[in-house]
Amino acid sequence: MSAAARAVDVWKVYGVGEAQVIALRGVSLEVERGKFTAIMGPSGSGKSTLMHCLAGLDSVTRGQVMIGEAMVTGLSDAGLTKLRREKVGFIFQQFNLLPTLTAEENILLPLAIAGRKPDQEWYQTVINTVGLADRLSHRPSQLSGGQQQRVACARALASRPEVIFADEPTGNLDSRSGADILSFLRRSVSEYGQTIVMVTHDANAASYADRVVFLGDGRIVDELHSPTAEAVLDKIKSLDLTVGAPE
Amino acid sequence: MLKAMLRGLFAHKLRLILSALAIILGTAFMSAAFVSGDTISKGFTDLFSTINEDIDAQVTAKSDVPSLEGGGGEALVTKVVPQDVADKLKGLDGAESVTPQVVSDGARVIGKDGKVVASNGPPRLGGAWPANINEDPNLELRLGTGPTAPDQVVLSANLAKSAGVTVGDKVEIITLQPRRTFTVSGISGYKGGRDSLGGETFVYFTLPVAQELMLGTTGVYSNVDIKAAPGVSQETLKQRAQAVVGDGYTVRTGEETSQEQASGIQSFLSIFSTGLAVFGFLALFTGAFLIFNTFSMLIAQRTRELALYRSFGANRGQVLRSVLLESLLLGLAASIVGLLIGFGLGWLLTRLLRSTGFPGGALVISPWVVIGTLFAGTIITVLSALAPALRASRVAPIEAMRDAAKPDKPLRRLTTFGLILMAVGIALLILKGTKTLEDNVLTLGGGCLFIFIGAVMVAPALSRPITGTIGKLVDWATPGRLGVRNTGRNPRRTALTAAALMIGVTLATGAGVFASSVKAGLSDIFASELNADLILQTDFTAGPTAGFQPALMDQVRQIPGVSTAAALQTDGVKLANRDEFVVATDAKAAQTLFTLEPREGEIRELNSGEIILNDGFATKTGLKVGDTATMQTARGEAKDLKVIGILASSQVVTNPLISPADASGFRSPLAQQAYIKVTDPAQIEPVRTQLKTLVADNPEVSVSDPSAQIKQATTFLDLMLNVLNVLLGLTILVAVLGVINTLLLSVFERTRELGLLRAIGMNRSRMGWMITVEAVLISVFGALLGMVLGTALGITLVKIFGGNFLKLTIPWGYLIATLVLAVIAGLIAALLPAWRAARLNVLQAIAYE
Repeated sequence: MSAAARAVDVWKVYGVGEAQVIALRGVSLEVERGKFTAIMGPSGSGKSTLMHCLAGLDSVTRGQVMIGEAMVTGLSDAGLTKLRREKVGFIFQQFNLLPTLTAEENILLPLAIAGRKPDQEWYQTVINTVGLADRLSHRPSQLSGGQQQRVACARALASRPEVIFADEPTGNLDSRSGADILSFLRRSVSEYGQTIVMVTHDANAASYADRVVFLGDGRIVDELHSPTAEAVLDKIKSLDLTVGAPE
Repeated sequence: MLKAMLRGLFAHKLRLILSALAIILGTAFMSAAFVSGDTISKGFTDLFSTINEDIDAQVTAKSDVPSLEGGGGEALVTKVVPQDVADKLKGLDGAESVTPQVVSDGARVIGKDGKVVASNGPPRLGGAWPANINEDPNLELRLGTGPTAPDQVVLSANLAKSAGVTVGDKVEIITLQPRRTFTVSGISGYKGGRDSLGGETFVYFTLPVAQELMLGTTGVYSNVDIKAAPGVSQETLKQRAQAVVGDGYTVRTGEETSQEQASGIQSFLSIFSTGLAVFGFLALFTGAFLIFNTFSMLIAQRTRELALYRSFGANRGQVLRSVLLESLLLGLAASIVGLLIGFGLGWLLTRLLRSTGFPGGALVISPWVVIGTLFAGTIITVLSALAPALRASRVAPIEAMRDAAKPDKPLRRLTTFGLILMAVGIALLILKGTKTLEDNVLTLGGGCLFIFIGAVMVAPALSRPITGTIGKLVDWATPGRLGVRNTGRNPRRTALTAAALMIGVTLATGAGVFASSVKAGLSDIFASELNADLILQTDFTAGPTAGFQPALMDQVRQIPGVSTAAALQTDGVKLANRDEFVVATDAKAAQTLFTLEPREGEIRELNSGEIILNDGFATKTGLKVGDTATMQTARGEAKDLKVIGILASSQVVTNPLISPADASGFRSPLAQQAYIKVTDPAQIEPVRTQLKTLVADNPEVSVSDPSAQIKQATTFLDLMLNVLNVLLGLTILVAVLGVINTLLLSVFERTRELGLLRAIGMNRSRMGWMITVEAVLISVFGALLGMVLGTALGITLVKIFGGNFLKLTIPWGYLIATLVLAVIAGLIAALLPAWRAARLNVLQAIAYE
C-alpha cells in the first residue's frame, strides 16, 4: 500500500549566516494510509515544522514532500492551494472556526470553497460521530471549547481528505474534552480508514495513535508502534527528550 | 506611560496616514481658498490704488436705478455728467487738474470669425483716448498711434489678441449703436506690461465718438477725475467738489473710488473662495467620521494593552489624556501638512488666475488663515477622537485578562435616539417649511442636520438588514457569502464607514433631484404656457446693451407664415419704489404667445402711460386696477403709469408689462428677445430661414426655438451640477479612504481567519473577492443611505423653493449612476486590503496570536 504522505530527506533552514536555524535535518518519513500517526518531540525539535512541510503550508529547503501521488515540493501558491483544498484537512489547537458562520456552515466550508456538494450520507455519519446534530445552527461563540474542536474535526473530515493534519488538537481543552476528541479521531481512523497525522507533546494523546514518531533536534530519533501512554513516557525518558510546552 | 502609548500610536502608521489624509485634504482646500482669495484681493486693492493714484476725487451722476448684476452691467454708465457741470469743476479751488472722462460698458468687437469677442464676466469697456497719452499715469501705447479720426480706434492688447487684429486692420464694433466699422490705429496696455486690470477689454475712440457711442450723446462725460493740489486732502477736495455740483451727483475720494471699483470684481471672487472653503469644510466633516472610526478601531484593538496600563496603576485620566494627545498630534501634524499643501494650491490658483488677467503678487498669508486652518483641522480631529478616548478610559483592568473580542453593545438605545433626532428634524421641516426661504434658513438647515445626524445613528441598525439584502446578489458563492457575513459583523463600524460616503452622496443627490425638478418644471412651462414656435434670442453674456431694434418686428410680421410676433425689451427699473424688471412689449400679442389671462382688468395693447402688472408684483405692492405706479428708468425721467390689468399667475411672464413707447429711458433701446408663432407647423422651417437672414448681420442675436431654449437653460444647470459633483467627489474620495482604512483593520483583525481560509483551500483571488464584496457592500450601503436622504433633501428643497416653477422629478439615471459610482468606489477601496489579504503568509496567519 502506498503512503498517504511522504517526506524524503527533508531539510528546512531558516535565516542565513549567523542567524541560521536548521529546523529539519534530512527527515524521511512515510505516513501510512489509514493509520493514525503521532509526531512527538520537545519544543524546537521541528515537529510542527515537519507537519507544516508535509501539509504544504511551508516550503522545504531541500528534499521532497508528496501527498498521495502528488508532488508537493515545487508547487506554486495556486497549486498548493488546490492541493490543500482537495487532499488535506486541518485541525488546529485554536479551533480556528469562522465566527460569522454556524457550526454546520463551518463544517461544510472546505467543500463550499472547493465548490463540491457534500456527500449527505457521509456528512450525517460525521456529525453523528462527533455528536453535534443538535448544535448545527449555533455560532462558535455559543459553543464550548470541546464542542468547537469537534466542529473543527467534523470540518476536517467532511471532505474525506487524503490526510488530516492535527496540530496539538487537545492543547486548549480540558482532559475530558481532549479525550473525547482523541477517541473521535481514533474512531475515524479505525472505522472509516481516515489517515491522520497529529503533532502532540502529550504522551497520553500519543497513545491513541497507531504509531508514534519521535523527533529531536530536527531528526527522527525513534518510533513506537501501537504504543501505550507508559511506553511513550518510557521512550521519552530513554531518549532524554524533555518534553516542552506546546510551541 | 505617555511614551509607551505614543509608541502605540506610531505602530499603526498606515492607518494613521489614511485618516490624516482626510484632514490634510480638508485643511488644504480651506487654506488654499483663503490664501488665494486674500492674494487676489490684495492684488486688486494694490492695483486700483496705483491706477487711481492721480485721482483724489471723482464725480459721477447719481442714479436711482440700481446697476444690473453680472455681464458687466455694473460698469454700464446710464447717468452722465454734462459739459456744463464738467466746466464748473474746471476752476475748483484746490484742484491741480480736472479731467472729464468717458468710459462705459458695452463696446463689443466682432472677431475674425464673425462672432463677438466673448467675455466671461469682466466688462467690455469703451471710452475716450486720453488727450495726452504721454502724461497718463497708467496707460501706454504699445503699437501705432492714438485715434485721431472718427473711424479710428485703439484696442487694449488683450482685446486685439482675442479678436485677432492688429494696427491697420478693419474691425467692426457694436456699441449703443449697431455695428460700425473702424480702423485699428494702435494697441494699448497698462504700464508694467499688464494687458488688463481684471480681464476687462477696452476700445478707445476719439472723444466725440466715445461720447456718442458709449454714453448716447456728445458733450457728456461718465465721470470727472480731480487731482488735488499739494496740501489739499482728498476729503476737503471731495467736499468742495460736492458743493460745486450739488445733490444730483456723487463725489467719492480717490480711496473710496478704489474700494468701489475693487469691490465689484471681488464679489465674484468671494463666491469662488467661499465655495472652495465650504468644500474644504465638508471634506473635514467627512474626515471626522474617518478619524472617529480609526480611533474607535485602534482602541478596540488595544483594549488589552490599555487594560494592562490600567492594571499597572494608570488612572482613567491618564488613558484619556494619552488618547487625546495622540489625536492632537495627529490633527496638528495633518493640519500643518494640509496648510502647506494649501499654500501650494493657493499659489497655483493665483498663477492660473493671473494668466487670465487677474492681478496678484506674492502669496498673502494672513496669520488668521494659518491659525484658523490649524485650529479647524486639529479641533475636528480631537473632537472626533473624544468619544473613542472616553471609551478607552473606561477600559477596566480586568479586560487585560479577557479575550479582546467583545460582543457588540446592543444598538437599541442608539437607534431610538437617532429616530428621535430624525423625527425632530422632520418636524422642523414640516413646521417651518411652508414659509419663504429667507425666513427659515436656520430651521431648514437645522432640520436637515438633525435628520442627517439621526440617520447616522440609525445606520448601524440598518446595516445588517440592508447589506444582507443586497448581499443576496453575491450570496451564491462562498467568498461572496463570507464577505456579506463579514460586513454584518460590526454594524457600528460598517455604518460609520458608510456614513462618510453618505455625506457626499446626500448632497449630490439632493442637488440632482433639485436640478431635475427645475428641468422638468421648465419643460412643463414651455410645453403648457408657451405658445411660440420660434424665438429670437440675444446672447445673455453680451451684456445689457446687446439686442436688436424692436422695429425689426415689422419685418418679421411681413414674413409669410408668421401669425403672431412680439419683441420683448426688458430692463431693471424702479417701479413703485421697488427694484423691478419690466418688459416693454405688445401685450396683445404676448397674451396669445404666453397664454395670459387677466386676473383683474384687461389685457390689450398698451398705450403710453399704462401698465399691466404680473400677479406677484400686484400682491407684493397691493396695487389695484386704476392705481398709479411711478416708474424710474435708468436714463429717463420718472413717469406715472396707470394699472389697466393684472395678470393671473403665469410661469412665463413674471414681470410687469409696459408699452414700448415708455421704454425710451431703458439702458438700451434694443429688444433682447422676440417670440414668434407661425400659422402652421410646416411653416416653422421656412420662417426660421427668413429670420436667420434678418438677423444675419447681428452676431449677438440667434434664432432659437422653445426646445433649444430649454436645452440652453438646462445646459447651464448641468454645468453647475457637474462643478458641484466634482467638488463633492472630494468628500467621496475621503470616504473611500475610510473604507480602505476599515478594511485594512478588518484584514488585520481577522488574520487568523484569513489564514484558516487559505489553509483549507481558498485561493488568493477568492480571498480578494471576499474582501471586495465587503468593500462594495459598505460603499453601496453608504450610497443608498445618501440617496434616500438626498432624495428627501431634494424633495424638501423643491417643496420649499417650490411654487409651480419646479416639478418634482426623481433623476433615476443620475441615481443609478451614483450607485454604479459607489460600486466602483468600493472596488477601488478594496484593492489595497484585498492585496494585503491575498499576500498573507498562511503559516504566520495561523500561528498568529
